Amino acid sequence: MNTEELLERILAEGRRRAEEVEVFCGEGIGISAEIKQAIIGVAEESRIRGLSIRTIDHGRIGVSGTGDPAKWQACLDAALASGRIADPQEWHGLPGPAEIDRKPLSADPALAVDAESAAGLIRQLLEGASAYPVEVTGGSAGLSRSVITIANTKGAYYSMERTHAGVSLETISGQSTGYEFASSPFLEDIDAGRVGEQAAFFAAHSVGGRDIESGAYDVILSPIAAAQLIGTVFLQGLSGKNVKAGRSYLAGKLGEQCTDERLSLYDDPFARGIGSTAWDAEAVPTRRLDFVREGVLQCFAYDLRTAYRYGEQTTASAVRSGGGAPGIGVHNLIVDGPASEIRDERAVYIHDVVGAHTANPLSGDFSVEVSNPFWIEGGEFGEAIRSAMYAGNVFEMLGEIGGLGNDPRIVGRLILPSIRLNNQQIIGK
Amino acid sequence: MSEPRYYDVRCVRGEATLIDIDNGVVESAGTSFFDRAVVRVLGPMGWGVLTLDHFDPESKGELSGALASAMRLAAITGDRVELGEAPHAALPVPALREDPRTVDLEEKTRLLAEIEAAARLPEVVNTRARYSESIDQVRFLDSSGNEALYEMVRSGFSIMAVAARNGTMQMGRESDHTITGFDLRHRQALGEKAAETAVALLDAGLAKGGTFRTVLDPKLAGVFTHEAVGHASEGDHIREGNSVLAGRIGERIGCEGLLIVDDPTLPGYGFEPVDAEGVAVQRTEIIRDGILQAYIHNRETLAAVGDGVAGHARAEHGDAPLVRMSNTFIENGDATRDEILAECGDGILLKGSRGGQVDPGRGVFQFNAEYGYLIENGECTRMVRDVSLSGEILKTLHNILLIGNDREMHAGHCGKGGQIVPVSDGAPHILLSSATVGGRGR
Repeated sequence: MNTEELLERILAEGRRRAEEVEVFCGEGIGISAEIKQAIIGVAEESRIRGLSIRTIDHGRIGVSGTGDPAKWQACLDAALASGRIADPQEWHGLPGPAEIDRKPLSADPALAVDAESAAGLIRQLLEGASAYPVEVTGGSAGLSRSVITIANTKGAYYSMERTHAGVSLETISGQSTGYEFASSPFLEDIDAGRVGEQAAFFAAHSVGGRDIESGAYDVILSPIAAAQLIGTVFLQGLSGKNVKAGRSYLAGKLGEQCTDERLSLYDDPFARGIGSTAWDAEAVPTRRLDFVREGVLQCFAYDLRTAYRYGEQTTASAVRSGGGAPGIGVHNLIVDGPASEIRDERAVYIHDVVGAHTANPLSGDFSVEVSNPFWIEGGEFGEAIRSAMYAGNVFEMLGEIGGLGNDPRIVGRLILPSIRLNNQQIIGK
Repeated sequence: MSEPRYYDVRCVRGEATLIDIDNGVVESAGTSFFDRAVVRVLGPMGWGVLTLDHFDPESKGELSGALASAMRLAAITGDRVELGEAPHAALPVPALREDPRTVDLEEKTRLLAEIEAAARLPEVVNTRARYSESIDQVRFLDSSGNEALYEMVRSGFSIMAVAARNGTMQMGRESDHTITGFDLRHRQALGEKAAETAVALLDAGLAKGGTFRTVLDPKLAGVFTHEAVGHASEGDHIREGNSVLAGRIGERIGCEGLLIVDDPTLPGYGFEPVDAEGVAVQRTEIIRDGILQAYIHNRETLAAVGDGVAGHARAEHGDAPLVRMSNTFIENGDATRDEILAECGDGILLKGSRGGQVDPGRGVFQFNAEYGYLIENGECTRMVRDVSLSGEILKTLHNILLIGNDREMHAGHCGKGGQIVPVSDGAPHILLSSATVGGRGR
């Protein structure tokens, strides 16, 4: 049975048993090559076809999923059973069909999902890494193509193809490690040679680092380090569900200055990023969503259920991780602002942090170990710093901005430049 | 195309149940189904791995097709992989005290709601409880004729409470997960405990960062064991040259009396009856009396590195196995908690865990405590929040001054290579002569 027939059959059966039904189906193939030291040791192909069913009956929402579409009936039964236990809530219907541009936003026709292409990316990674005297410890290249489809009993039916290419490399020199990666829907965005060279540079340049005294320093967070801290804490604060449940630091601050006025944060589902899409995971047409405009908090993110429950409007912010039930998230979160030469004045450059996930998501407080810290001045990387911790608060940190770099890149679902921060707390050893 | 030198198939089929109660509202309570298989072949050089849904290894056609696909993948590999010899056997899975399948979803939801309700103390503004249960039916077979078939039932819950006062928010979180059966009955005390922690933290101060004498409670010392020692002893990191413990077998890397073990045979949350390559699991003493004894291995890293024990291959369903920890702990010493605090004198006690991370190549780890207390004159005084600890693996183990006699194990989850597996870790209270504590207090 093809996907269209399968979805129609599920909706037809579901409609008899619940007021509304939605089916989300994902199928795809991915190939990756993994290196151990500098040789490919594993080549892997993953084929996935799964579906997730959601039923709504008298405000009771039920969900279930299965990796075996042939068992959709058991999955529908489980979704209905689940709905019978969930507490009923205010519900005003799934979205019907809308006029949207059905052109795929994140599918690269030139991207071939085959083992040879992955092996080619690995060769480029290794070639890049050979620029510095380091050992390669691990790395990978992955290519994938998938089709996701959503259909509901209101008549919405959207399908889109997505592609993804990603590379990463880990290196070591003595006890100095280096890591770099790149990820995009488009193969042409992946400069594997450059990724390899950077991974090697960070390990090589970190050798012989000197201690740093505890104190307050100007800091430059690379896009990777900034994404780790902003992704762990700030995004959770923007979730309308967390706001209404009393779990967000940002609750009650709409219209207030909550970051430096140079900073804007918005979700652009039409940007060139990993999460680009014209419809969200509940079939609501997406649009650009300005969370923070020039430092002022403008809005929070809602999906349908949270919006209906609290009398808000959905912001088309439903996403699904791993094909499961929809939840609130971002498509492509862009951190934007006027770029400047932030590397001129002396600062501590932080390439990555260890332990960002241990930050306090409510208060924003964190203390992390830093990876590959260097002094930076006059635009150049200087002496390496051996080891340090960085303690701060994500919400306060975004008000202590010294400037934004002109180097935006994709880090997961975020697209952001490096960020210079004034007077941050570094703990030396 | 040549025949594979070796192949194995691991199918995991089952169901996962999740219940989510947020501020008294049952958000969702339902079951999903999965049936994933991983087919691995060893080609002339390295691995070809195929992962797919609802695969039937009994079907000759399906199997030969999957093996051929995996062999085509293996053709791009260049690293000649050898497999170490290891005994194949499976332990019985511990009996369930109460099988969660005999409890209906309504009752589970009601019991979880009781725990969630118990967390609603004054000043608590949000409570959230989650129950998770997974029933895994695992089938393993390999080209040498080894087979294993077993069922694992894992279940548990977490409860989080958020307290707020004058714009300040803090949280407390408790959880418990087990392999020995349904565990939601009469657990309201954990809900209260999460709430009490959240409320107490409203009055806690910020810790000042710096180097201190530090006491770790059993929960945090367990995370320390996992992050600071466990990961760096994993055979894949050793083989890749990505661990400071490489080449140090027989070397003193910790204080006298220090015994660190990874033991998948214990009935903790990290229990496995047999590893993901069909290899018999066994207790592995990583460090004994302060001396590095063994790495933990899968068959490939055992052959490549040696100095250790296979049987530590684990996989999330639908993923190829990696070298993983199971139940990891520091064995008891003989100091009491009071002796440890007295010996500490002035320092800091760190309690509970918000998780941690390690860079094994650099030998640097970080982990975060839920809260702590300043220790003054051997007494716990002011409560502090948002404290973390970082250190260097090779130094920190020498800095252990005292090992307590009150070991506790705690269930959790460990992420590596994009896969999450259930683990437990534990330790008694330990005293470190110096540790770098990160905090925002100035």
